[in-house]
Amino acid sequence: MSHKQARPVESERVPLKARNVSFSWEGTPLHWVPGDPFTTHTINVLHLLLPAGERWFVHVYKQALPLIRDDRLREDVVGFIGQEAMHSQAHDEVLPHLREQGLDPTPYTAQVDWFFEKLLGDRTLPPGRARHWWLLERVALIAAIEHYTAFLGDWVLNAAELDRRGADPTMLDLLRWHGAEEVEHRSVAFDLYQHVDGGYRRRVRTWATAFSALVFLWQRGVRFFLENDPTLTGGKASFREFHVRGRQGTLPSTGDMLRSVPRYLSRSYHPSQECSTAQAVAYLAASPAATAAERRAA
Amino acid sequence: MPKPLTVALVAGAALLTRRALRRRVRSSPLWPLPALDPPVSGRPRERALRLLLTAHETIADGVVQLRLEGSGLPRWEPGAHLDLVLPSGLVRQYSLCGDPEDTSSYTVAARLVADGRGGSREVHEQLTEGMELEVRGPRNRFPLVAAPAYVFVAGGIGITPVLPMLRALPEGTEWRLLYGGRTRASMPFLEEVGKLAGDRLTVVAEDEDGRPDLAALFADTPEGTAVYCCGPEGLTAAVEEALPAGAALHLERFAPRTAAGPDTAFELELRRSGRTLTVPADSTVLAAVRRELPDTAYSCEQGFCGTCQQRVLDGEIDHRDELLTDAERRDSMLICVSRARSDRLVLDM
Repeated sequence: MSHKQARPVESERVPLKARNVSFSWEGTPLHWVPGDPFTTHTINVLHLLLPAGERWFVHVYKQALPLIRDDRLREDVVGFIGQEAMHSQAHDEVLPHLREQGLDPTPYTAQVDWFFEKLLGDRTLPPGRARHWWLLERVALIAAIEHYTAFLGDWVLNAAELDRRGADPTMLDLLRWHGAEEVEHRSVAFDLYQHVDGGYRRRVRTWATAFSALVFLWQRGVRFFLENDPTLTGGKASFREFHVRGRQGTLPSTGDMLRSVPRYLSRSYHPSQECSTAQAVAYLAASPAATAAERRAA
Repeated sequence: MPKPLTVALVAGAALLTRRALRRRVRSSPLWPLPALDPPVSGRPRERALRLLLTAHETIADGVVQLRLEGSGLPRWEPGAHLDLVLPSGLVRQYSLCGDPEDTSSYTVAARLVADGRGGSREVHEQLTEGMELEVRGPRNRFPLVAAPAYVFVAGGIGITPVLPMLRALPEGTEWRLLYGGRTRASMPFLEEVGKLAGDRLTVVAEDEDGRPDLAALFADTPEGTAVYCCGPEGLTAAVEEALPAGAALHLERFAPRTAAGPDTAFELELRRSGRTLTVPADSTVLAAVRRELPDTAYSCEQGFCGTCQQRVLDGEIDHRDELLTDAERRDSMLICVSRARSDRLVLDM
C-alpha cells in the first residue's frame, strides 16, 4: 500500500462559533427563483432534510464527544455542533411558511424524522462493541454527508446565476450563510472520523450508503414538492431537468457532482483541499443574517 | 453463457416488478417509508413576528396601552405574555390583556418605571403609532389551572394577566379579586374590572385605604383554592406570607428575566453520576458541571443553540435562554445560561 495520507491545509482552519441568526419569511414568494419551480423545489428539499438531519448530527456528535482525545479537535466539534443546531433551527422555520402558502411538507418531513430518529437513531444495542460500532458507523456517515454539504455550500456561494435570475434575497442569505458555515467547518466531520476510526473500508462503505440515501431522498423530495405545489399542474421531476439547470448554473452541474466522488474516495483526501475558507469568512462578514446575529451578541 | 430462455424470464420478471412498483408508488406517493408519529420537524419553537403598532394611548396615569396588528397570529391562553423587542434591542415582557381569540391583533399595557432600566421609558417615549415591532411568543408561564375556587391579587399593572383570566372563568365559578394600586387614577382597567367582578372586587388605593388586608381576603377560602398574584415584590412577598394552608399559589413577578440582583451560589446535584457540587456566583452551571464531567455537550454558551439542554429533576429554575418552549421549561434547562431560583437544583446527568 502506498503511503498516501490525508494532508490538512493548515491555513484553511478557523475557530468555529454558532451564530444566532433569524430570518423573516413574510416577503418570500412560494417560487423564490422567479418562474422556475423546478429549481426552487430542488433547493427547497434542503428544508425537508436538514431540520431532522442536522438535529441527528448533533445527537450523534454529543455521544462522540467522550471519544475525543485531542483538545483542538474537541473545540472544533463543539463549534460544529452549535452551527449544525442553528442550521437545523433555521431551515425548520421555513416549513410553516411553506404551509401558509398551501404546500404542507409534513407528510414528507414526518418520514425524514422517522429516517433520522428511528432508522438512524440509537437503536436498542447492548453497551460495548455493538453500540460503539454503530456510533462509528454514524460518525463515518456524517463525514460522507459533510463532503456534500461543503460541496453544495461552495456551489451556492458561487452561484451568481441565482442572483441574475432575481432569487429572493432572504432565501439566498439563508442558503449562503448556511453554505459558508458548511465550508468553514468542512474538515471537522472528516477529522473526527479520522480521529476515532479512520478506516478506509468504512469510509467507502458509508460513502456509498450516504450517497444512495441522499439521491433517494432528494429526488423523492423534489417529486413530492412538484406534485403537491398548489400552483402547478402536472409538475414532473426528471433527471434531464436537473442536468439542464446544472448547465445553466441555477443548480450544481452533473459533471461537478460526478467529479467530487473520486475525490472523497481518494486515500489522500482531506476536506481542507476543497473550497475556500477565505470566501466563506468573507461572506459571513457581509451576510445580513450573520451580521445581525453579531450585533445581537454584542 | 446464460440460456436465452433464462434471460427472457428474468427480463420479464424485472418488467413486471417495475410496473407493480410504479403502480404502488402512484397510489401512495410516499410509499415505502414509514413516518414518525408525531413528527418533530416543521413545528418551530417560537417565531419572531413583525407587527404594526396601530395604537399607543394612555389609559391611566403612567400606563400606556399598545395595540399590535398582524394577521394569522397565534392564539393564546389567559396569563400569557409577549416578548417585545424594542428598537434599541432591549427585550421586555408584557402580559397580553386583549381577547385570546383575536388572531389579528395583540394588546398589552405598560407602566412607566421612572427609575427602571430604560425599557418602559422607551415604550412610553420612543414608540409611535405606525412603527413595526418585533415580538416573540406568546408564551404562558402563568396559566390558569382548574380549581374549585380562585383568589386573584393584582398590584397596579399586574392586573393585565388577570383581566383575560376573569373573562375566561366559566359562569358560576367562585372567585374574588383584590386590586391594589398607589392611586385610583394610576390603576388601569378599573372600570372594566368593576363591571366584570361586581361585589367580588376589593379595590385598595394606597393613598386612600392604606395597605390591603390580605387576612380578610383569604378568610375562609375553600381547600384547593388557586391564588393568582401578579404585582411588585412587596405584594407578592406579603401574599406568600398570608397564604392559607391548602391553597396553591401562582405567582407572576415583575422581576425581569435576568434577575436584577447579583447571581448567587447554589448547590447542584448530578443524580445519575451521584455527585454534588456548588455552582459559585460567578460561574455558569455548565462550567461547574464540566469540571466534574468534561465531556458534557455544549456549544454556543449563550442560550440559543440548545446543545446543553438537560433534564431537571428537582429545584426551581431561573430560565435565561431564548430557545426552550414552555413545555420544555417545565422540566429542562439550558445549563450554559440558566441558573437556579432555589438553593438546590437536581439534574438528570
